[in-house]
Amino acid sequence: MDRDLLRHCLLYHGPSLFNTLKCEQTENPDFQELLSELDKALHESGFGEPNNPLVEQFIARKADILFSPAWKTAKVKEGDEEPEEEAAEPYAVMPPLELFMEVSQEERRSILYRDLEKGDVVVGRISNIRDYGFFLKVVCMAGGLKRDIEDLELSALCHISEIPSHRSHDDPLSYFQINDLVRAGVKDIDRYEEKITLSLRPASLSHSWKHLKLGVITREELPVQYSRSISAASNTAETYECILGGCHGYHNPCVVDYLLDKLGVSDTQPPSMMRGLQSKLFKEEDFAAAIRKKQSTSWALKCVRAGVDHFKHGRHVEAMNEYNKALEIDTNNVEALVARGALYANKGSIMKAITDFELALENSPDHRNAKKYLCQTLVERGKQLEGQEKLVTAEGLYRRALSLDDSNPEAKEALNKITDTIQKSIRLREEALAKEPVKAKSGETSAEKLRKILKEEKRMKKKRKRSSSSSSTSSTRSSSSPHSQSSRKRSKKKKKKERRSEHASKRQRRISSRESRKGEEGKCEKSRKGREEEEEDDEVEWFPAPPNTSATFLNSGGPVFGMMNEEGVDGKSAKDRICQLYSLSAASEDEDSESSYRENKRRDRKESKTRKCTLGHSPESPRWNKDGVNMGKERKIDDDSKRSGIDEKQKLSQSEQSWKNNFTGSASRPPENRTRPDSSISKTFDGGRYQIKEWEGFQAAGQVTPVKPRPEEQCSASIPGKRPGNAETNNPRPKKELPANLLDIFNQIAQFEKEKGGKAKK
Amino acid sequence: MDAPSSRYPAALNRAPGIAGRRESCGETEADARNTKTHFRVCRFIMELGVKLCMRSVPVATACVLYHRFFKRASVGAYEPYLVAMSCVYLAGKVEEQHIRTRDIINVSHRYFNSGSCPLECDKEFWELRDSVVQCELLVLRQLNFHVSVEHPHKYLLHYLLSVSSLVNRHAWSRTPVAETSWALLRDCYHGDTCIRHTPQHIAIATLYLAINSYGVELPVGEKEWWQALCDDVTKEDIDTIISELLQLYDMEAKCI
Repeated sequence: MDRDLLRHCLLYHGPSLFNTLKCEQTENPDFQELLSELDKALHESGFGEPNNPLVEQFIARKADILFSPAWKTAKVKEGDEEPEEEAAEPYAVMPPLELFMEVSQEERRSILYRDLEKGDVVVGRISNIRDYGFFLKVVCMAGGLKRDIEDLELSALCHISEIPSHRSHDDPLSYFQINDLVRAGVKDIDRYEEKITLSLRPASLSHSWKHLKLGVITREELPVQYSRSISAASNTAETYECILGGCHGYHNPCVVDYLLDKLGVSDTQPPSMMRGLQSKLFKEEDFAAAIRKKQSTSWALKCVRAGVDHFKHGRHVEAMNEYNKALEIDTNNVEALVARGALYANKGSIMKAITDFELALENSPDHRNAKKYLCQTLVERGKQLEGQEKLVTAEGLYRRALSLDDSNPEAKEALNKITDTIQKSIRLREEALAKEPVKAKSGETSAEKLRKILKEEKRMKKKRKRSSSSSSTSSTRSSSSPHSQSSRKRSKKKKKKERRSEHASKRQRRISSRESRKGEEGKCEKSRKGREEEEEDDEVEWFPAPPNTSATFLNSGGPVFGMMNEEGVDGKSAKDRICQLYSLSAASEDEDSESSYRENKRRDRKESKTRKCTLGHSPESPRWNKDGVNMGKERKIDDDSKRSGIDEKQKLSQSEQSWKNNFTGSASRPPENRTRPDSSISKTFDGGRYQIKEWEGFQAAGQVTPVKPRPEEQCSASIPGKRPGNAETNNPRPKKELPANLLDIFNQIAQFEKEKGGKAKK
Repeated sequence: MDAPSSRYPAALNRAPGIAGRRESCGETEADARNTKTHFRVCRFIMELGVKLCMRSVPVATACVLYHRFFKRASVGAYEPYLVAMSCVYLAGKVEEQHIRTRDIINVSHRYFNSGSCPLECDKEFWELRDSVVQCELLVLRQLNFHVSVEHPHKYLLHYLLSVSSLVNRHAWSRTPVAETSWALLRDCYHGDTCIRHTPQHIAIATLYLAINSYGVELPVGEKEWWQALCDDVTKEDIDTIISELLQLYDMEAKCI
């Protein structure tokens, strides 16, 4: 029980109420607790006013409800928006009741000073202007209170400091004149001295009145309640009721709802003093909405049952009608949706069936039949898609079906079958891809082969240094699997290494073009297969090569074979990279083929990762190796490998190009592609090798004609001093001689290295 | 039009056989019984109102229509609960808060058969629906189609606003006068106070009772605040209404 309220009430009514209360509320434990307290309070205060016995009786009977703390639910909403015109007012804004009650001046004055607070808004007329501020004669309240105060002749001061100045050097008081109507906020009240201080600063207003404009106002802006009170005061025939009926806002059809909201009383959980109507006694399931829902479900079920019956007897049309009827009665009824879905599936409208099942499962995710049927339907749909060669989508559907119902043998079987099929198709494509480069490879010169071997060697060494088996396996795998696949993986990781791997971008470009060829299957495969290996591969490649690469390389025999194998394996990737590079260059030159550029870039990025990295590392190693012990050798090897790599690439790209051209249909690409590797090289090497740069620069500059041999020649021509060896190596390339002995190749490379040795260092 | 009532009584467990007993007792006893019946039926209307999420004003309209109906018709002739359902339906239309007959029937059915399953879409349901609709026409005819009612609610709300401006705002926010007066106003519809007094008087009386229950102090001028709000109300009127209200509260203990 709210003590304060109860105490106040008792003091108001006196001891008679107290006695009545005691009689009526004997069972109330809360009241009994307060008894002694209240008794004391009463004795102290003396007698209350003579009272209405009926009221006392009422209070006594309903005290437990009246004074219950939970009873007070209303929250008054402060601050009404004054509408611009009377016709727009949401309720009747009445003049202050004091006016109608004819309360005496003293009374009004005292209650005003009792109730006026900081932040209220008053309107007054300027009576006096001094240099320290102006005095207002208060006319009415404009917010916070509604009182009849004009004739009280209250005077309030607004100090000059409280007037916001409009311009820095103007005297703010000059804006005001005697008899101006001013709206101001109450800054301070001295209740004892009966002094009111005002302010024109918006900050002085309380939150609800913040929107009011302070300062000089016109007569029209006076509050409505005041203007009405003027007319009421002058005409005594205008009673409260008359005015109320005359107000436009009174006739607002929504006035009850608006005012209930304003006063904070709820109409949805209405208060009642009747014991049987207390809101806590009402159960949710007795409400109309709840019963309706239950009823709709039950009615819909009846229709569904009838529909199933029709269905069993083969009357599909009637069955569908029943299901639709059921869904009209109760939308999203689970049983109806499942039944309709089954009927659709039966008829062959697989997509509609799937929609229905999905909707049913949304509403009730554990519906056994829905899951079962959906699984079956998905398998069915998957088979359809398989027929349409949309293997990946079909696979997705099978997986979903299996996740729904993992005991379904058909789904399992279908899933396994399709994964096999996809793998097979990918492998086939890889093989197809591999075949082409192999053919091209047969026309390689010794130099090219050498380059390849060198590159591979370096790569392998790096990988070995990094992480022994994984890299080789990955490289192996990557080369065995479709290039696009590996490149795809690489490209994914590539994004992390963006900064360092311009090469990688090239590779990716290349790979992406292959990917486009391959289509979905390839992508799926890639995504599913171990990306980590690719990552490792990439990671490995970016680290500097072990310093004794050259030594192992120069040992013929074992490593050679190893290298041969690797070369065979890596050759493809090398080729890929070359192709990437070339495609990169092609793309860079051909502004039209933006997409292909990007493709190529991606491909190249990937390819270059495996290949370029080796290249990159080779030059890097000399740089990083300050002592330069193996510098010369490494450089030689690097250069050779680089050049051979490049040459290889160029050669490969030739063949690749033709092959690619079939798919991409862009004849101009090959030469452009060739220039690309150079630029990519330079980028990867962080602008290290100036040879490459120059080479690249030259290449990039002049590549327009799709003549394949040209870039090679240009290469050799542009950097004659730097790479005399190139010319040598380049020249034999178009002829596509096959070296009889690998040792010859090595010797040639060694030669190159010697020549380039000094210049390679930077 | 007697037919509708005969189909429904089977579902009603609460209404005692008032029709049968009326002839045997005296007038006052019959009156007393009628009052109790009306009280129960009005309680039924109020509960319907809450469960159908009706606003206070349509519920009040329904009660007024019911009371007016039975001022002219005898309780024995028509099934009061059916009339109540139709009054609710009609009031929803009058006060622009349309209620579906299906909802009215569902809630009523559950009121009488607590905890039961909702009705199936069968003969019984359609017969009930027909009864409600036909009874609605009956009510309209009985009331000569005068179905718009002026309610005390608007007055009460405006009075509340005016009175609240006289009181210190903190005291007002501490005292639940608004809720109490609104509750009192709603509760007074259990009886026929609503048709025996003008809306302004009812509003004044409920506000008076609420203010005095909490001992809220208001300034005194030449006139009392309630005199200022409504010129023709007297203290006696207020007291009469308050006593009627108290009787209603007493009746609750006896009837339900």
